Amino acid sequence: MPLIILLPMVILGIAGVAVLLHVLGLSRRAILADDAAARAAWLREFPEDTPKRIRRCHTHNAALIETARGLGVVWPMGADTTARYLKGARVRQGKSGLTLDLPDYTAPRIHLRLSPDEAKTWHRLLESCA
Amino acid sequence: MTDALTYPDVVTWAVPFFIAAILAELLWIVIRGRGGRYETRDALTSLLMGAGNVAEGIVLGFVAYGFFMVLWQITPLDLGHSIWVILLCFVLDDLRYYWVHRFGHRIRWVWASHVNHHSSQHYNLTTALRQTWTGTFTFMMIVRAALILLGFHPAMVLFVGGLNLIYQFWIHTEAIGRLPRWVEAVMNTPSHHRVHHGRNPRYLDCNYAGVFIIWDKMFGTFVPELDREKVDYGLVHNLGTFNPLRVALHEWIGIWRDATQPGLTWRERLNYCLMPPGWSHDNSRGTSQTIKARYLATHPEEAGTPGLPSPGTPIR
Repeated sequence: MPLIILLPMVILGIAGVAVLLHVLGLSRRAILADDAAARAAWLREFPEDTPKRIRRCHTHNAALIETARGLGVVWPMGADTTARYLKGARVRQGKSGLTLDLPDYTAPRIHLRLSPDEAKTWHRLLESCA
Repeated sequence: MTDALTYPDVVTWAVPFFIAAILAELLWIVIRGRGGRYETRDALTSLLMGAGNVAEGIVLGFVAYGFFMVLWQITPLDLGHSIWVILLCFVLDDLRYYWVHRFGHRIRWVWASHVNHHSSQHYNLTTALRQTWTGTFTFMMIVRAALILLGFHPAMVLFVGGLNLIYQFWIHTEAIGRLPRWVEAVMNTPSHHRVHHGRNPRYLDCNYAGVFIIWDKMFGTFVPELDREKVDYGLVHNLGTFNPLRVALHEWIGIWRDATQPGLTWRERLNYCLMPPGWSHDNSRGTSQTIKARYLATHPEEAGTPGLPSPGTPIR
């Protein structure tokens, strides 16, 4: 197929599908409805590291997880979740919450939307483990 | 010897079909409220990976084709281009696909290219297009060399490879349950391939088939989809980014970081490139075999069930 046809078709096709998905409401982020959901999301990534303590943020989008191995976070990846330990993370406080920079090419930056009080508490906890 | 044989570039001609089928699957899911899931950023990343794969083919396709044409000049065999030769080429290329795909899961160097296809936590038709940008660097074109040396023209080999890829598109769906028994027995189907995309311990490293599932049954890597265990899609450690560049390159970066750490022997550095994904010199990580063994430690009653070793099977 000539590039002059292929290129516009690919660009329009990708853009069209993306816009359609967004319009259909399929851009919603995962919600950790309760501690059990946060625990399940954590154990999905680290099945052998049982959470000792779970702190969900007020938006229910993310949770800090304390295990015997240290502190980690569960956060949404679109409609799904992933999780990472926070060893070596750099923490920055912003207007809407915290930004975590991880030494991890597969999860370089995590934005956590937190209330000002939550942000302070989480910042303190994260700095203690970094 | 036939030098100027040409076949249509079937993968690019299939692009309108890919887009139409994605829209049809999406509408089916939205209207029926079942049959799979879509999410904007995930689908966008998959589609960009697909576009990048086509671009890589345009930019670097000459490397493999040049290699194949050199072999074509060397080989004394020419099987011609009858329909029977094309069919035989299709079947043998599917066997080639099985082994390349199996290497893609068992050799980290090849996994570094293939991993991005498994990096979505969704399983829909866009996942099929989440293809590698770095396939040329795996050197798996060497496996195709056998077909050229046997007398199949390089253009024919690439043509049937394109057909194989197009076949595999439609099996990336949850909208189709199970097909009639004879189809499930012979062909790779949505059910078989869902299992291949699973991150559940029992579903790791199985069902490598492209078109014919018989290869997995012949070589002992077939695992059926179990009604009692829903497939959990994605990687053992799911990515925390939708950035296509990071999706495409993350395992290569991982190999570089692992193989260049100080204090390793040269054998250990090589092992980080060639051993199965999850291998580490200090056993601090887990391969699929160790993940299965750890799972069995907490679920001993599952030993010997599909995808899980029987008691006493050594860990590789």
